[in-house]
Amino acid sequence: MDIIIEDGQEESPDADVEDLKEELEAIQITAEPIIEPIIPTITKEDFSEYPESYKDNTNKEKLILAYVENYRRQYVHLFRDRKPLFLNPLNECGIEKFVCTTLRPTLLSYKALYHWQGCAEFVADYLTMKQLEPPQELPMCLFSPSTILKRQLGNCFDFSNILCSLLLGAGYDAYVVSGYATKEICLADESRQICPLLQPKKEVVKEAEKPEPRKYTVKPPRDLRSKFIIKMEARRKKEAEEEEKKKQQEDEEKIAELEKPPPDALYGLRIHAWVLVRGGKREVPEDFFIEPFTGQSYPPSSTSFLGIESVWNSINYWANMQNCASGCKDMSFDLMDTEKWEYMLAGSDQSQIEIPDVEEELYDLDDDEKENDDEKHLDMPATWVLPICVTKNQYEMRCPQGKKTTLYKKAKLEKYANYLLKDGLVTRLSVYDNNELTDLKKVQEWFENREDKLTTRVHQDGLITEDFVEGRPRSLQQHVYKASNPGPEAERTMTFFHKARVNGLCKREETPTEMTEHFVNRDDFLYLRHVLFGKRQKKVAPATAEGPPRPILKITEKFHRNDALPASKDVEEQIFIIHEDKIQITYHREDPNITASTRDFYKPPNAEEKGGSLQWSNDMTNTFQVNPHGSPAKNLAIYENLLQLIQTEQKSIQAVRSSEEEVKDILMDRQKEELASELAISVYDTERNDKAKKHRKELERLAMEEKLRRQEMEMDYLAPFLAQIGNPDKISKTQAFKLKEDCLADLKQRLIDKANLIQLRFEKETSELHKRQQDYQQKQVAMTKEDEEQYFNYCSEAMFRIHILELRLNRHKQMAPHKYMQLEQKLRQDPRLSVYF
Amino acid sequence: MSRLYDTVEPSVIDDEMLRKAVEEQGPKEEAGKIAKQEGVDYCDVLSLRLDFRNILKVDNLWQFTKLTKLQMDNNIIEKIEGMDALVNLRWLDMSFNNIEMIEGLDKLTKLEDLTLFNNRITRLENMDSLPNLHVLSVGNNKIDQLDNLIYLRRFPNLRTLNLTGNPVCDDQGYKLFAVAYLSHLVYLDFRLIDEDTRQKAHSLYENKLGELMHNEKQAEVAIEAEKKAAQELLKHKDAYVEHLNSSVLFESMYKEDPEGMKLALLPGLQDMLKDFQDKFVEVCMKIFEFGMKEYEKRCKEMREFNTCIQDAEAANKKQAVTVIDAFEEYKKKLFTELLVTSDAEVQERKMNEYHEGVNETWDKLMGLEMQLVDQLEETIKDFERNMTDLMSQLVEYIQGLITQVRDLENSHNEKLLEMCMTVLEKVVKNEMDEELPDDLRMLFVDKDTIVNAIGASHDVHLIKIDNREDEIVTRSGAWLSGHMQKIHADECARNRARVVEITNYIDHLRDEIDTQFMP
Repeated sequence: MDIIIEDGQEESPDADVEDLKEELEAIQITAEPIIEPIIPTITKEDFSEYPESYKDNTNKEKLILAYVENYRRQYVHLFRDRKPLFLNPLNECGIEKFVCTTLRPTLLSYKALYHWQGCAEFVADYLTMKQLEPPQELPMCLFSPSTILKRQLGNCFDFSNILCSLLLGAGYDAYVVSGYATKEICLADESRQICPLLQPKKEVVKEAEKPEPRKYTVKPPRDLRSKFIIKMEARRKKEAEEEEKKKQQEDEEKIAELEKPPPDALYGLRIHAWVLVRGGKREVPEDFFIEPFTGQSYPPSSTSFLGIESVWNSINYWANMQNCASGCKDMSFDLMDTEKWEYMLAGSDQSQIEIPDVEEELYDLDDDEKENDDEKHLDMPATWVLPICVTKNQYEMRCPQGKKTTLYKKAKLEKYANYLLKDGLVTRLSVYDNNELTDLKKVQEWFENREDKLTTRVHQDGLITEDFVEGRPRSLQQHVYKASNPGPEAERTMTFFHKARVNGLCKREETPTEMTEHFVNRDDFLYLRHVLFGKRQKKVAPATAEGPPRPILKITEKFHRNDALPASKDVEEQIFIIHEDKIQITYHREDPNITASTRDFYKPPNAEEKGGSLQWSNDMTNTFQVNPHGSPAKNLAIYENLLQLIQTEQKSIQAVRSSEEEVKDILMDRQKEELASELAISVYDTERNDKAKKHRKELERLAMEEKLRRQEMEMDYLAPFLAQIGNPDKISKTQAFKLKEDCLADLKQRLIDKANLIQLRFEKETSELHKRQQDYQQKQVAMTKEDEEQYFNYCSEAMFRIHILELRLNRHKQMAPHKYMQLEQKLRQDPRLSVYF
Repeated sequence: MSRLYDTVEPSVIDDEMLRKAVEEQGPKEEAGKIAKQEGVDYCDVLSLRLDFRNILKVDNLWQFTKLTKLQMDNNIIEKIEGMDALVNLRWLDMSFNNIEMIEGLDKLTKLEDLTLFNNRITRLENMDSLPNLHVLSVGNNKIDQLDNLIYLRRFPNLRTLNLTGNPVCDDQGYKLFAVAYLSHLVYLDFRLIDEDTRQKAHSLYENKLGELMHNEKQAEVAIEAEKKAAQELLKHKDAYVEHLNSSVLFESMYKEDPEGMKLALLPGLQDMLKDFQDKFVEVCMKIFEFGMKEYEKRCKEMREFNTCIQDAEAANKKQAVTVIDAFEEYKKKLFTELLVTSDAEVQERKMNEYHEGVNETWDKLMGLEMQLVDQLEETIKDFERNMTDLMSQLVEYIQGLITQVRDLENSHNEKLLEMCMTVLEKVVKNEMDEELPDDLRMLFVDKDTIVNAIGASHDVHLIKIDNREDEIVTRSGAWLSGHMQKIHADECARNRARVVEITNYIDHLRDEIDTQFMP
């Protein structure tokens, strides 16, 4: 621009031109602040840190740039009213580069990045977005992915560039799209969208299978109600429902109207870049868009994307020939269709059609032609950017500084890297009642790597719900309690992993005066125990830490049917009304019966203390028997039953007390854990696991020491002899000879000594054996079997030892001269003595 | 050891002895007092000890049906008897008696622990009906046959065996023999069998044991097959077509037919007979197949009916139970309220309310029951109609097939007659080139004789076929009426029981409030 203006200044000195000049200058001033922030960022850079490919273009790149220029000219010529294409922006060193070469397909070694969801989320989290300045113009430059990843800052083109590289690396058929989108998309403004974590999951509602009408199903009893009245009733109900529905719909519409974004002055002009993933590869059923700022996927029919100028990936570049008047809804993404998409490199089209090898051979002639064709076409030069690499640490930190906050409609989502926060928090979702995010409704927190196995905590309506994974002591699975009263004897619900518990407890619900426990799969068929507590009596006792336990008023226990017992003996429900000294038993119903036998006991007060010596009287029981003709139970049996029930009552009271204790213990544990909030570190995590680190360091240190020790071990064989002559600095010739002689003599002596020693041992063994043999021959007859066996054992062992000694001696004899020669050789080459030999 | 007879007077198990024993061994203290007051039924006693009483004969134990443990050691019993009623017995101790033979244990199928220590038993036998036997103690007896131990192989649960003091133990290989043949044993003669012994025993008797096991296995397989065949036959009988899938009927026709047998020897008849049999059996097969098919159909129909009835009853029961539960809830509330109020007027009103509630409940329950009765009645009628149709179809079709059988017989008879005529002619003309057996020749005396013989044979055959047909018709008819009667009777009994139950419950409800709140 500057150049043109300057030219104008020189060539036309007229008054008109002067005017023009003035006008143009006025424009220049307004334009400056737009361009300036870009140029300084480039010029400020120190290019030395970039490799050659960043600072210069290869011949092939130059060729392709020329090609690109040609393409651009044709395009401009043909479509004068269309906006320029994003083809060859400057890179960080101010060099023009073709956009396709800025892509570098990469597959990183993280499991999550093998799927598009993981890639999109990573890119969205890892980089901080920067909007285009101005929003309706293409950026001047496009940096390499490695630079962007280092800076963790980029615009939509940078985002799309990296995401597309990752997707191509993972095998997706992905393209960068340059086009237009709504303001919300361009600014990554999700505050009008529902948070993806809050979106109601689609539940597959299974329709209850209607039982097939059987041949002999009994007819239902005749309905004697008036059909007309029922019909009228139904009609009225339906009308009311419709009214309700209508009203609701109207309300919804009103709200939607209110929440609509304000009209955007630049609607349809805002430039944006995103990623297109085409169906066909990696089991992707159909085309979709990925918005790189948020990592969300959109169908091509989405109203947020308003138009497409061009698409490209590392193979080719296509300009869109279709009308975008109605957004991308009806657009075809069949890039082979030259009517709709104008490609840049003709040759690379072939890469899209995969021709099987066999066919190629069959049509050899054709093939040759094709090859000739190929040669004529220019193919894409190799990428100029450095490989994309993300270290494990970077990957785990995710967002810049490990933190990221996203605002959604009536919700705020905060993300933290693992191990960043001391309490292991990784995600926090706050849901608000209003759009201004002031009226907090619900807070949901996710944790990772907690030592206490806490995974989520939800704070809603004054209730706190904590979820745990398996592996806690006492097998707690979920804990719901009031935020205002977290102490014992308050309202709470605890759910347990019942399979891990000995008593099969799966749920315990509490209120200040009640406690209900649910059990699963118990041997005694108990499935429910309900306790009613009374108020504590105020005592003037010395104030202890806890006070007396709450008095138990009533315990109700329910049992499943035990098929081993007859129903009339199998207790379904037993109620201990403790403050009335009453026990109520209800038995199970016998199969066809509709009534159940019951029995009430009125026990004398303090019966449990007297034990077995309870006095019996007939008015202690009251019974109802289903079968009036059955013989009534014997008093003896009833009496024994009562004694047993008194014991059961005590056991139940015990169980209740221990449950109370357990609750207290769990609460105490939780409190301690919350205070400590320790994080568990995997044994495989070499970075964070201090113990493992220490261990490794220790091992390294040991290895080092061992090495040093070995070095020392290689001792100087001349040292003792040198010491004899007083470690002189210089050795004379005679001394050298003498040293050599001494050293060799010493070795010789030692070798002989060793041989002698072996021989000595050999002789000793042989003589011992001989002696034993003689002994054996003398006493052979009188010997017991065991002695004999012992003797044979000894013989075989002795023979073995003798044989070994013999072998050793032979070997020693063989090796000794070698050793001698070796030493002599060494001495000859010894730097101290070599002067004289 | 056994005592001499005349040292002490032998005693008899009589009522007094039993009463005393039960009382002594029964509950103590307060419970004992109660027991004494109301008396203990023998049928409730679980364990009984009758030791050191000089009992000679076991008797009068028939009332102790629930007994699980019986001790009669140190008596002078000579014969195991009188224990057939003790079907629940698990623990029997008859050591130190004078028993000479194991017997009388057939009914004690639950027996797990049997002690016959110190008796005069010579053989292990008569214990086939004790599959649960876990512990067997027969020490200090007179068992002398090592092979007799093989008898114990039939107890898969036998873990403990005591044989010390028997002559058989003097045998050198006794221990290894026992261990080898009774591989499930854990304890032998008060000692744990160690792995070493087991190995040794196994290697010693490997061959013999293998053979034995092979035989046992074969016997087992044979029994299994027999069982299966019997089951199959039972099924065929239920379908009324037993043995029709083979030539049994055809053979039975000739079995009681001496003339036919004789005639069968006629030259050239063999082929014809063969042809006749094939056709005959083919039709029989058709009958069989149809019968089985119909049987399956019937079974399915019955299953369907039963499930539907059960469903209806369950649904009805559920409704009734909800009614009762609701009332029980109300009752509980009312009673607590009644306990609290002292106002006579309020009490009166509440009581009236309660009685009304009881009446209402009665109405509801009876209404439900009436509804169920109506529903079931209708369904049963439907079922009866369908079953009658099915049965008549079956009978008609089978009768049709049997007519075919009869036709076959008729045509065969005609052919036979024709053939005999030609033979007779030849015989008369002495042109017969083959020799006929004598008794067959006797028939070919003149035309009447041969015609009579053939007619007799034909009649026998027809009677057989008619009998079979009648059997099918009568049996199927009897089954149908019996089955339907049973269904009706069951339904009737069910209804009675339910009505009694409801009445009983309502009475109880009325009594309850009176006993609790009436002064």
